[in-house]
Amino acid sequence: MLLSYDRLGGLRFGLWAITIAICLFLLLPVLFIAALSFGSSQWLVFPPPAWTWRWYGELFADPRWLAAAWTSLKVGALVTICSVVLGLLASFALVRGKFPGRLWLKALFLTPMVLPVVVFAVALYALFLRIGLSGTLIGFVIAHTILAFPFAVISITNALETFDKSIEDAAILCGASPWLAKWKVTLPAIRLGLFSAALFSFLISWDEVVVAIFMASPTLQTLPVRIWGALRQDLTPVIAAASTILVVLTLILMAVAGLVRKVFAK
Amino acid sequence: MTDSFLTISGFRKTFGSIVAVEDVSLNIPKGEFLTFLGPSGSGKSTTLYAVAGFDDPSAGDISIDGRSILATPPHKRNIGMVFQRYTLFPHLPVGENIAFPLRVRGHSAADIAKTVKAMLSLVRLEGFEDRLPAQLSGGQQQRVALARALAYDPPVLLMDEPLSALDKKLREEIQVEIRRIHQETGVTILYVTHDQEEALRLSDRIAVFNHGRIEQVGSGEDLYARPATRFVAGFIGDSNFLKVREVERRGSAASAILPDGTRIENIPAHAGNGHAATPELMVRPQSLKFVQGSGAGLAVKVKDVTFLGDTSSVLLETGWGQEIWLRGAGSAVKTNALSGPLHVEWNPADSHLFC
Repeated sequence: MLLSYDRLGGLRFGLWAITIAICLFLLLPVLFIAALSFGSSQWLVFPPPAWTWRWYGELFADPRWLAAAWTSLKVGALVTICSVVLGLLASFALVRGKFPGRLWLKALFLTPMVLPVVVFAVALYALFLRIGLSGTLIGFVIAHTILAFPFAVISITNALETFDKSIEDAAILCGASPWLAKWKVTLPAIRLGLFSAALFSFLISWDEVVVAIFMASPTLQTLPVRIWGALRQDLTPVIAAASTILVVLTLILMAVAGLVRKVFAK
Repeated sequence: MTDSFLTISGFRKTFGSIVAVEDVSLNIPKGEFLTFLGPSGSGKSTTLYAVAGFDDPSAGDISIDGRSILATPPHKRNIGMVFQRYTLFPHLPVGENIAFPLRVRGHSAADIAKTVKAMLSLVRLEGFEDRLPAQLSGGQQQRVALARALAYDPPVLLMDEPLSALDKKLREEIQVEIRRIHQETGVTILYVTHDQEEALRLSDRIAVFNHGRIEQVGSGEDLYARPATRFVAGFIGDSNFLKVREVERRGSAASAILPDGTRIENIPAHAGNGHAATPELMVRPQSLKFVQGSGAGLAVKVKDVTFLGDTSSVLLETGWGQEIWLRGAGSAVKTNALSGPLHVEWNPADSHLFC
């Protein structure tokens, strides 16, 4: 190889420095927020004069924060189910189907990934106002499902493409109906793809804020929307506490996902 | 044949404007091991998949025991199949793979446990119940696939080039296993391969496919000694095809005059020369013998000698410049002084004229 790491000589230290700088740049804001959430200062002074659990106490005592967290979980769970089910059906059509315009359809399914989120949010808001879905749970779920769907399609089509259809045929010749063969053999065989699709779908809904701001009503808010709203009213360490919990839950989810993948891969 | 068990009659399959199978009819008695042999794209796999039920015939009928199976969907045909690729269910251990067809059929737990044990011992993989497919070698996977396909005692077993992904030594080992299992179970087997050696080794009868038709059906010996068409003669075993200048036909025998004027009498003659418009004389390399002295036989020059252990192959050139092969026992070839003009001859009954 022309450009080999071992032959870089002194440049190697430069590369290390850049890498570390980038990592710090990405991590420090999150770490600061976490530190501030435990700081005793009302004004988010850094370094904190003393450490306290107070803001977490206030967070859990406030029904508005709890309602927002509950909404986030509900929306996330429903989006996960819708996006995986629809993604699975779409993937079967895209991978197994032989109809004209298949590639165009796939491109269409992936457009929410590339469309500017604000444009999408405004358009959807206008539509939902007209049909009365604005500010409803169903509206939230539909909006986030549209955003999560392309990721589900990508994960599941990838899994389905690497799955040899002969295996499903073998199950059918063994006496399983085409539906049973898919249920007992194909789905378990592509479970890693389904799992990735579910994880992506949940996370996309869990931390999505732009579309959620348009969908939200004073009584129905997700956690990111609540954080955004609270930030505009007053700057309190409770927001830092809420943000930290959001980050920690995401980290836990990623860790569990890594573990599950390891177990599946065996 | 009166005792036909699996019957394929007038089977034809087209994909759009492409004709995959022109017209195939076969009568297969119960318990027979029949191999579809042919080059890729000859229609052998398409015919097999139609029996399995994955492709509906464009025309014709397929019946088992006198009843057409065309209206029966594949999962109700009760047919076993081993595929070319590895098709074990990746998330299930070996025991559960074999149990799958039994569970689908609602067998009792005790019955399933007994059958799985019996099947594993049939394919000589006792104690492998709890392994996952990924932990098995290719040969072991295909043996488990065979056990799974036989677990529900199907009347017909289809095998679509099941050994083509394995290396030669392993392939021969499993061929012996397949023969033994066929003898032990008495199941009717349709086997697809493009490997003539495998076909000869395994089959009771071989159907040679070419361009969507069956060129000939017969035992390996039939096909080798009495090929009906030029294609079969060229596909089974090694062969020389000599140019022929003139043919005089008398019923099923003929006389041929070779380009250098050599006249050969009493050759079995066949009409099936699909390949070329000009008649050709087929003679096996091992049928050729050097003639001591001169005058008789076909005049040749030696171009090359290849030592192959038990035998030697000699590349010869005829008077009109065509290259042909002679094969003989290593010592028999060596004792000849392989220089200058020589003559070869053969028993005309062992050669075939395709015109």
